[in-house]
Amino acid sequence: MLETAELYFNVDHGYLEGLVRGCKANLLTQQDYINLVQCETLEDLKIHLQTTDYGNFLANETSPLTVSKIDTEMRKKLCREFDYFRNHSLEPLSTFFTYMTCSYMIDNVVLLMNGALQKKSVKEVLAKCHPLGRFTEMEAVNIAETTSDLFNAVLVETPLAPFFQDCMSENTLDELNIELLRNKLYKSYLEAFYKFCKDHGDVTAEIMCPILEFEADRRALIITLNSFGTELSKEDRETLFPTCGKLYPEGLRLLAQAEDFDQMKRVADNYGIYKPLFEAVGSSRGKTLEDVFYEHEVQMNVLAFNRQFHYGVFYAYVKLKEQEMRNIVWIAECISQRHRTKINSYIPIL
Amino acid sequence: MGSLFRSESMCLAQLFLQSGTAYECLSALGEKGLVQFRDLNQNVSSFQRKFVGEVKRCEELERILVYLVQEITRVDIPLPEGEASPPAPPLKQVLEMQEQLQKLEVELREVTKNKEKLRKNLLELIEYTHMLRVTKTFVRRNVEFEPTYEEFPALENDSLLDYSCMQRLGAKLGFVSGLIQQGKVEAFEKMLWRACKGYTIVTYAELDESLEDPETGEVIKWYVFLISFWGEQIGHKVKKICDCYHCHIYPYPNTAEERREIQEGLNTRIQDLYTVLHKTEDYLRQVLCKAAESVCSRVLQVKKMKAIYHMLNMCSFDVTNKCLIAEVWCPEADLPGLRRALEEGSRQSGATIPSFMNTIPTKEAPPTLIRTNRFTEGFQNIVDAYGVGSYREVNPALFTIITFPFLFAVMFGDFGHGFVMFLFALLLVLNENHPRLKQSQEILRMFFNGRYILLLMGLFSVYTGLIYNDCFSKSVNLFGSGWNISAMYSSSHSPEKQGKMVLWNDSIVRHSKTLQLDPSIPGVFRGPYPFGIDPIWNLATNRLTFLNSFKMKMSVILGIIHMTFGVILGIFNHLHFRKKFNIYLVSVPEILFMLCIFGYLIFMIIYKWLAYSAETSREAPSILIEFINMFLFPASETHGLYPGQAHVQRLLLALTVLAVPVLFLGKPLFLLWLHNGRSCFGVSRGGYTLVRKDSEEEVSLLGSQDIEEGNNRMEDGCREVTCEEFNFGEILMTQAIHSIEYCLGCISNTASYLRLWALSLAHAQLSDVLWAMLMRVGLRVDTTYGVLLLLPVMAFFVVLTIFILLIMEGLSAFLHAIRLHWVEFQNKFYVGAGTKFVPFSFSLLSSKFSNDDIA
Repeated sequence: MLETAELYFNVDHGYLEGLVRGCKANLLTQQDYINLVQCETLEDLKIHLQTTDYGNFLANETSPLTVSKIDTEMRKKLCREFDYFRNHSLEPLSTFFTYMTCSYMIDNVVLLMNGALQKKSVKEVLAKCHPLGRFTEMEAVNIAETTSDLFNAVLVETPLAPFFQDCMSENTLDELNIELLRNKLYKSYLEAFYKFCKDHGDVTAEIMCPILEFEADRRALIITLNSFGTELSKEDRETLFPTCGKLYPEGLRLLAQAEDFDQMKRVADNYGIYKPLFEAVGSSRGKTLEDVFYEHEVQMNVLAFNRQFHYGVFYAYVKLKEQEMRNIVWIAECISQRHRTKINSYIPIL
Repeated sequence: MGSLFRSESMCLAQLFLQSGTAYECLSALGEKGLVQFRDLNQNVSSFQRKFVGEVKRCEELERILVYLVQEITRVDIPLPEGEASPPAPPLKQVLEMQEQLQKLEVELREVTKNKEKLRKNLLELIEYTHMLRVTKTFVRRNVEFEPTYEEFPALENDSLLDYSCMQRLGAKLGFVSGLIQQGKVEAFEKMLWRACKGYTIVTYAELDESLEDPETGEVIKWYVFLISFWGEQIGHKVKKICDCYHCHIYPYPNTAEERREIQEGLNTRIQDLYTVLHKTEDYLRQVLCKAAESVCSRVLQVKKMKAIYHMLNMCSFDVTNKCLIAEVWCPEADLPGLRRALEEGSRQSGATIPSFMNTIPTKEAPPTLIRTNRFTEGFQNIVDAYGVGSYREVNPALFTIITFPFLFAVMFGDFGHGFVMFLFALLLVLNENHPRLKQSQEILRMFFNGRYILLLMGLFSVYTGLIYNDCFSKSVNLFGSGWNISAMYSSSHSPEKQGKMVLWNDSIVRHSKTLQLDPSIPGVFRGPYPFGIDPIWNLATNRLTFLNSFKMKMSVILGIIHMTFGVILGIFNHLHFRKKFNIYLVSVPEILFMLCIFGYLIFMIIYKWLAYSAETSREAPSILIEFINMFLFPASETHGLYPGQAHVQRLLLALTVLAVPVLFLGKPLFLLWLHNGRSCFGVSRGGYTLVRKDSEEEVSLLGSQDIEEGNNRMEDGCREVTCEEFNFGEILMTQAIHSIEYCLGCISNTASYLRLWALSLAHAQLSDVLWAMLMRVGLRVDTTYGVLLLLPVMAFFVVLTIFILLIMEGLSAFLHAIRLHWVEFQNKFYVGAGTKFVPFSFSLLSSKFSNDDIA
């Protein structure tokens, strides 16, 4: 079965895989970053980006250029590429793409609800939403008062609906509840995505499962880190952990009991992958845990391109592109705020 | 002719441009397109260069111009084709132009914004009227639709409704009405139902005409809806949901009177808006018309300006910052033109100190420039596709002009087909100034660019077709066959002579299936046909055997001549680059190797043709066996072609064997001797030597040194000669590889030329099959129906001939001819490691950009 799947892969998905590999080859190189860091103004940045794959995507922007303009244009570009992939995809790749957008959709929903809570206008918040996670119903999110309301009225027909099974409650949506909702949604989303990849088998499973396991563990660790000193109870905390990672079940139980960073680190030290990451945090270069995680993610995503005939390349490409956009935005922020000392702490894509 | 044999001699020149006049000088140079600029700031990133600001300004202007062109094409104003090529704008005018354009842009943006606003307003009003019209029917229908109430008196009905509203809900009935896009209706209704838990009543009707969406400008179908609900809370929800689906909501009039009033008000407002909109559009058109007059030339001017600044970015400043230094490659013949252009530029800007130039010697390999005209261009392209020639090496394009069509024609030999191809090419050549051909699509353009190649290919095919005596696979009897059949009959010979001869009589002719003509019988063969193959072979059953033997030998002969010619051209290269030792140590052994084996093969073929006649043909030995025996020295002597053959062959073989070690070791050993005994002779020579073996790094290293040295260099006059590292092992390896390639190549390439025979055979057979399968069928039917049948058969024949025999077979023969040139011919002498001379010329630039920009 394995062989035949590889044999027929190109019939349905060969074009897109070729395309995505071409796109990956156009990611900014080390040399590009070196040049970008040297830029004095955002205009310089724009000129340099013109020589890369971004082309003249900023050509029709009237000056003055701002970081947010660059960010939106880059997002639009990624979105255009992604939509192209998605429009040309066949099952089961299109389901895979849907799963990929789900995480952005969750973020958008939460963003909108937070916005509604703070009485911001929908338009204003909409502009901040990630274009990849855009869907028609999302503007109506603020009519809902409770989670079940939200599910019943708004999201029942979206791909997000299946993730709601664990978090139906009649609590009103205040800030804490929204955050809980986001994490619960994310938990069931990751588990569903993991199951999908696992069921798909083949190389896709071999590539995607480690990536998603890492993603799940990262969430668990970050949730733990963020919950120190909040009113979140330990039992509640444990219900938020995605269970598809390497930490499951023993590590998650220990994490739920952790009370400070050192205890968390002790838990992570039991695992071969996470030990070096936590060690890197303490070291001289002043990296945060987040940076270390990003670096590890980039590494995994780059490695995904070493195998052929699987869907992981699409996931990896989007993640790499996101990282690249984060880097450019970081550099642009540093330039515009004249804060050059930290400009080099972007995460290079190998 | 001389200019096609070798590329033009180049020199490196330094231009000293006074900073005030640099722009004008470059503008003058760009118009003439004489020189290629070298980038002196390679390690300066693009945004740190000197003229970045100006380039940015050009980009800004371009952006405005693109916007203008976009607006102009949107209102369908024809863009006038500007005058041929306006010069780059003088610096003084640039600011003015920029101001003008910016003003124009601001104005345009404002007017279009107003227009859009008006338009949107108008669309909304139109939507509103539609909505009012449609919802009126909703209400009426609602009333009609409730049969239960009809039985009650009207008054009672009203009071009942009022009562229930007040009592049960404590709120009044609310309406929300508006328009929604067709595709969203279903989802909208579902969400309304779910969110409001059924406390709403929704009525829809499709709008019969599609309206423009004010935001996107798309024309789509709309639905009018009316939602009735009770209570404030639900009202808020409904409004939010409407927002979410981007519905256009309009206030719903409660009474009929109100409705009528609104409708009337709307109608007058729509009228007003129409007139205002028309006026705005007229004004916009005027503005755009005015802009359209100059926009084309503006686009060109800005392109030129940008190009000039790009070139200026490649120049370096001198110490005093007063003048720019540019390094350019310039053909020596164009130096006076270059001087004149500089003078002209200085004069135009009215500078006191003129810009000037001087040539500087260099060791770097200059770019290759071969001037072509429209005839030689196509052939040069064939060669360039393989590799642009190294500087001043023999250019095979000159010989390709003849050999290419000839080798093609050998494979495509059919004078009918050739003539059709010739006519087609002639048509293209005669109409080459026709504008539609120049802007034609990709495929026709390909033919158009190769029209002169096609012309020659057609002509040569006619020639080889005549030699093969093939016209649409049929032979033509022009001069009368050299064979006489009547001489075969016994009656035409005296009885005493008939003794040994196999002659025909009536019964033999009647009963045997095949008859054989015997040329040894006097009178049967009256001498060869004057030109080409005798047409009688067309009737013979052994025609193929005869033609195969002929074509095979012919292709071997042509191939060996072609390859030997290539090796001889190598000698010209060695002479030109002053490497005489290469002639004795490489070229001569190569020629010996080739001629002693394959030259002798040719000799045997021709000798056998001449020495044996029809009478002696039975004792003629096989060339193949003789050729094999040349290497195997068989114990038993065969009687051979001529006396003393064995000795001659041994001598030739000895020469061949001797040539091989010379080829392998001669050059490396000689170079080693030179290096040890007489250091640096022949390697360093004044002026240019070919340094194509220099690695890329070395070249770039040289480049960076240039920059560091700055001005000192020109005082030094000549640059340091970087002595090449002598590496005996490497030279030995290179030469060994080259020799092995050559020796094996001689055999495999000769075999490769047999494709001439194979393709010509395939072509002849294919056209023969086509004739037999189609035309013969058509011709066989008797006359009454034959005419009717022949017409479609003829049409089919023509179509197949064109598509299969002309285009498909032609392409295949073309490919094989290209291969024979690139691989078999050019690898004997051609290095092709040069770079093309790309002058800084506006003519290249504007034609390239204007197309994709305006389109």
